[in-house]
Order: sequence, then C-alpha cells, then structure tokens
Amino acid sequence: MPNLEAILSRDAYLLSVEIKLFWFVALLYGTCLILHLIHLITRKPGPGRLGTNMLWGAVIMHAGLILLRTFEGQRAPFQTLYESLSWFAWSASATYLYVGRKWKDIYLSGILVSALSMGACLYALLARSPAVEPLSPPLQSYWFEWHVVLAFLSYAVFVVSCSIEIVYLMIKPSLKKGFNTEYGLHINNLEIFHKQSFRLALFGFPLLTFGIFSGAAWANDAWGRYWGWDPKETWSLITWTMFAMYLHSMSIPKWKELPASVFNILGFICMLMTFIGVNWLARLLGIPSLHLYAM
Amino acid sequence: MIILTKIKSINWQAIRENKLYRRFASLKTSVILLGILIGFYIVGTIFPQGGQIDDYIKAGGRFTPFVIFFNLLNIFTAPGFLLIALLLFINLFICTVERFLLLLNQRANRADGLEFIPAYTFPLDINRQLEDAHGSIKEIFIKDLGFKAYPYHEETALIDGSARIVEKGWSYKWLTWGYHLAILFCFFGFLLTYLFSFEDEIILYPGEAAAIKPATISRWNKSWGHQPQELDFKLQLDEFITEYNQFPVLDYPNDKLSRLAMAMGWNEPKYFVKNESYFPKDWKSRLKVIEGNKTVLEKTIEVNDPLYYHGTTFYQAAYKQNLKIQVDDNPILLETDTDNELMIPGIEGMFRFGTIKTGTLFKKDGSQEKIKSFVDATLVKKDSAGKTETEKIGKLEQDGSLIVDNKKIILKEVKEASILSYRSDPGVPILWWAGVMALLAMSLRVFGAWYRIIYRIEEREDTPYLSFTIKTKGLMADEEKLIRRLKHLLENMTEPIDLDTPV
Ligand code: HEM
Repeated sequence: MPNLEAILSRDAYLLSVEIKLFWFVALLYGTCLILHLIHLITRKPGPGRLGTNMLWGAVIMHAGLILLRTFEGQRAPFQTLYESLSWFAWSASATYLYVGRKWKDIYLSGILVSALSMGACLYALLARSPAVEPLSPPLQSYWFEWHVVLAFLSYAVFVVSCSIEIVYLMIKPSLKKGFNTEYGLHINNLEIFHKQSFRLALFGFPLLTFGIFSGAAWANDAWGRYWGWDPKETWSLITWTMFAMYLHSMSIPKWKELPASVFNILGFICMLMTFIGVNWLARLLGIPSLHLYAM
Repeated sequence: MIILTKIKSINWQAIRENKLYRRFASLKTSVILLGILIGFYIVGTIFPQGGQIDDYIKAGGRFTPFVIFFNLLNIFTAPGFLLIALLLFINLFICTVERFLLLLNQRANRADGLEFIPAYTFPLDINRQLEDAHGSIKEIFIKDLGFKAYPYHEETALIDGSARIVEKGWSYKWLTWGYHLAILFCFFGFLLTYLFSFEDEIILYPGEAAAIKPATISRWNKSWGHQPQELDFKLQLDEFITEYNQFPVLDYPNDKLSRLAMAMGWNEPKYFVKNESYFPKDWKSRLKVIEGNKTVLEKTIEVNDPLYYHGTTFYQAAYKQNLKIQVDDNPILLETDTDNELMIPGIEGMFRFGTIKTGTLFKKDGSQEKIKSFVDATLVKKDSAGKTETEKIGKLEQDGSLIVDNKKIILKEVKEASILSYRSDPGVPILWWAGVMALLAMSLRVFGAWYRIIYRIEEREDTPYLSFTIKTKGLMADEEKLIRRLKHLLENMTEPIDLDTPV
C-alpha cells in the first residue's frame, strides 16, 4: 500500500506542474488577445493569422492540461468552478477554431473568444481554489458529468455565436458603404459568415436543453424535486427562453435581422449570468441557492 | 355520441379564421409571450422565492407594498405568471394543431411549396436515350446515394410533369412538430405537478417502524377541503450509515500576488492531512417498507438513489445527531442534538457541538478505518456588554473526556437518525417521457441531415442534362459533399450510360 506522505507529495507535485501550465496557457490566450487587437488596429492580416496559430497552440496545450487534471483527480475534471472555467475556456476557443478553419483572413471574432478564454483562466487561477476535491454525495450521480460537460459546451458555442453576431452588426453598415474591407469581410461573404452564428446557436440549443433536462432529472433524484426556482435554475431557463426567442425570430421575416441579432447577444449575456453572475447576484441580494459553488 | 355530433357541428373554419385565433396561431405571439415570461423569471431571481414577507422586511427590503401586492415572493404561483403560462400553452397548442393540419395537407396537395427552380445543371455527357438516363439517374439517387423517391412524385409531377422528387433523412418538419408536441406534453406534466404533488419530511430513528403522515396536501385536494391522509404503509430504518473520505487540505495562498509567485515557482503548493480532514462520502439508510406486519420491500437508499413505493418517493435528505453527556460522576446523562446548544450546570456559557464524525473513513492510501466517534465542542459565552464569544474546547471522543471549569465532561453515547424527504408527484413520469421525446426529436432535427432534391432530365441540343435543386436541413447536411459525390457518380456512370461512348 503506498504511503500517505508519498501520495500527498506526488499530488502536490502534479498540482504545481498543473498550475504553472495553466498560467502559461492563460498567458497564451492573453497574447492571442493582444495579437487580435493589433490586427483590429493595424488592419493587417499578419497579426490576426499569428494570433489564430497561437490560439491553436494554446488549445492543444490546454487539452493536455485538462488531461493532466483528469489524471490527478482520477475523475472527469468538471466539478469545481475552477475546473469548469478551464473547460469553458478550452471549449470556446476550440469551437472558434473549428468553425473558423475555412475562413480566409477573418479574425475579428477571435477578439471576444480569446478575451473570454483568458478571463476564465485568470478568474480560475486568481480567485478559485485548485484543490482536487472528492465528490460530495449530491454530485455522485451518473447525470453529473454529462450535465456539466454538455451545458458548458453549449455555453462555449454561444460565445462563438455571439462574437460572430457582434462582428456582423458592427461591420455591416460600413461594408455597405465600402469601408473596412481590410478585415477579410466583404459584402459577398458577409452573410455566409453571419450564418455560422445561427448554426452555432442552433447547435447549442439542444445541448442547453439537455443541460436543463438532465439538471432537473438529477435534482429529482438528489433533492426530491425536479425544479425549485433556485436562481441558477431560473437563469438557465432565462437563457434557454432567450435562445428560443432568437431561433423563432429567425423564422419571422421581419424579425430575422436586428431583433434576432439582439436576442442572440442577450442570450449570451444571460448565459454569462447563469454561469458566473448567479453567484454574484445571490451574494449581492442575499438569496440562498443550492447551486452555489463552494468558495 | 351527442358530444361528437356537437363537435362536428361547430363551424371550425370560422373559428380558424377568427382574428384572435390567428393571433394565437402566430409565431410572433410566442416570441412576445416568451419575452414576458423572461421578465417574470428575472423578478423571481431578484426576490427570494418562498421567503416570508417578515424576513424580507427584516432583511431591509424596500419594496414591501409592491412585494405584497404582486406576490413577488411567490411569483411563480401568482395569477399573472400563471396567466402568461396559460397563454403560451394555448399558443403552442394551436400552433401544433395548425402545423399538424398543414403537414397532412401537404401530403394531399403534394405540389405545395415544391416549385422547381433549378440551382445546378450538369450535362450528362453521353449519347443516350433520355429514357435510359432517367433509369440510371434514379438508380444513382436511390441505390448509391440512399434517397427515397418522394411518395407521391408521380402525381406531384411538378409543373410540366417531368420533374422528380427524392428525399433523404427524417422529415425535419415532422421532427420539429414532434418536439413542439412533446413540449406541449411537458406543460401537462407541470400542470399535474402543480395540482397533485405534495411533499414533507420524516425523521426515522433506527429500529422503529414509523407511520407516515404528511402535513401538506396537494392543491387539488386542498381545494376540495380534504385533509392530509396517512400513507397506507410504514417505514422502518434498520441502520443509518455515514461514510467519509479523508480529504487532505491544500496549503495554497488566497492573495493574488502569492498565487502569481507560485506560477513562477517561488513557492510550491502542499497537501497535508489534519485531524479534521473529513469529507462526506455517503449517507445511506437501510430501509424496510412495512404493510400490516409484513415487510414488502427492502432497500438501502442514498443521495441520488431514492426509494419509490406506491407513488411516493423517499429521499435521503439529511440526518440528525444526538449525543449524551455525563458530567463528572453524575449518573443522569444530559442529552442534546447537534443543532442545539446545551447548558451544563456549573459551567458558564452554552455548549455547541459540531457534526459528530462516526462511521467509516476511506483513507487516501486506499485503506478503511472505523471512526471512533468524536465531536468538536465549543463554548459560547456572552460578555457583560452582550457580545458573544466562542471558545474552542476541543475534540471529545466516544467515552473520552474534556475538563472545563474543573468539570469533567464525558461523551457517553451518540445516536444518528435519518431525515428523509418524501414527495408524491404524478407529473414526473410524463415530464420524463416528454422530455426524452423532445430532446430526441430536437437532436435529430438539429444535428441530423435531411435533403430534398427536385430534379429533371431534359434534353438540350441532343445532350441530356440533369438540372436540380437541393434543400437541406440539419447541421450534418453537407450540400457540397453531396454534389461532389453526385458528380463523381455521374462521371462514372456505367450501363446503361457509357461514358466511353464518344459523343
Ligand atoms: C416553449 C416553447 C417553444 C420552444 C422551446 C420551441 C423551440 C423551437 C426551436 C428550437 C425551433 C428552431 C428549430 C428549427 O429551426 O426547426 C423552433 C422552430 C419553430 N417553432 Fe417553436 N418552440 C416553442 C414554441 C413554439 C410555439 C408556441 C409556436 C407556435 C407559434 C412555435 C412554432 C415554431 C415554428 C413555426 C418553427 C419553425 C419551424 C421550421 O423551421 O420549420 N414554437 N421552435
């Protein structure tokens, strides 16, 4: 039987490697952000291209980091907010790269994605505990991993959808007048580019639906109630409803332009509220929540 | 029969043309209603739901008249919210019925919405009869590409009768309709929950068969003036089991600069095991269901694994811990539970006990250990100014002792009871199945692939041409790939069309 001291020092060593790697990944996301901003300011494709390549590097390294964490905890690494933030950052950037792999010299939507990935990593590193925790009894459910993984994947997809939407809204008026063509977008490819944002939201919607359904089924087993109007549950329902509004607006000819775009961006904001904002709101207003992540 | 005739005699067409009905059949209405619901939801996250108005006032709430008038502490059962939910239900119901009629109708008027505007035209670069080309192209679509001939294509015979329709994949329209229908069923589930569910809690001490008498009653029964009924079976707790994991504490700084320093390797994180490194692993109750004098079911439940019996589900919710203390040699033991404070004569202040650790400890090195029950004791004192002070006394083990104010305090006995919550909710099975169906249909619609090709083979200057248009739905649908394959197949067409034949 391995001795306790040896186990603890091995765990501490692995954690110290993990933390250093995590900082490095955060730094890479930060550099990507800076390169994307340089692209925005100079209008040259070079920095954007470099930023995207570097984002590939960050995502590959980050995948290694998630595997390391899995090995450390001997379980899927989606339990604490520290872990979920990491998965969120990775999946947002990976989705962005996957979706954008065929775009030629269009980098603007990478700004929001790399900023959020960096932000999520820094928040995890600076404000959350990296301790590998055992699973508490309520988390010991077969719903747990699927619930978290797919809900967070939907969040990542919504991030990319929103970043495309914002770029589209910002650049469309000037492209129509013939300006700002240096960013790789022009009137002919703008709609194809924009369509990705709808496809992503469409992709995310069943995932979010599954997230809510599995959460309810799980709560029903663990707490004896499938729905309790807990702030976290309610915000996830708000996000879901907002995206339902978005998807429906896309079928209403008069609303498929600006109103739909607004709903998509609001959906993203609601998602952020569900993910992080609830903790903050609940503390601010003193509302108890079963879902709050332990500090 | 009479009802049936009556229903038949209603002028449905007039109703369907009614303006209000049209409004409820509109997608815009759904978006607006969903938007209003969001407003209610947000209010529901700002005001603590299920809270008491007195607590709200005490906590410094400033909108008291509003809160009372609009019932903001129970907004999800307030009439305004229920009304909007009802309107959305009607909206969804009408949409689903209308969509159903439309889909059926589309089968009857097959040509509806299927006009042929060719998007692609490929020359069939061969010297062949048009008749042969028809056969081969059909074969390519059906055999090689897995399409199905649209069931009514002969009659559909679009426009000039020469176009054909082939489809592949599950009909997205029926899938979309299917998950809307499933969502409609979810509303029924919510309604059943709203009307018929009730819940309560029961505390079980080991060894006794307890009758279950809920203090609450469903809304439906309440509205008929019924009283809560005792359930027709009893529950006995044979054993309550607690298990803990050894949970090493991480020595890790909280301030941001030290964390940054750690990233540079100026300091390393460390794990260490303290005495109180106990992390709950499991709470289990070994239960028996007793009817009359007979045990009809035995099950060990834990969090996430409840007991179902006769429409009621029992959950491991919490536990209650009692302890008995002996002071010096006094044969009369003092009894308390860990939720309350205990006064011991002769000692100033009140005793407060933490969670009693008892059961099994699963250690980091893989071994298991029976825990010698213990509890942490603190003494709470009030000074003359009325300020409370807490003083840690120490760890009190089973049969062990602590000396406080020259008095010897001995932990003589610990006892645990299991707290189960139970609930009866006939909405759950419907919601479960409707939810699964909704997810399934939605996933097939969104992630699947559906294609419809309308094509025509026509002759221009003695060369047959294939003109077609493609419609796709679903994220997996890949129009480019399909066209590449089609091109490839057309180029390699064998009998009866032979590419080698010189044109
Ligand atoms: C709780 C409410 C609802 C949810 C979650 C929901 C969900 C969805 C989703 C995700 C889509 C987009 C998928 C697609 O493009 O096929 C959709 C489309 C649609 N929904 Fe809903 N829906 C709801 C209520 C309604 C209601 C009340 C109506 C009736 C007016 C309606 C009518 C439609 C229509 C007509 C489409 C377009 C289908 C198509 O493209 O063929 N939905 N719905």
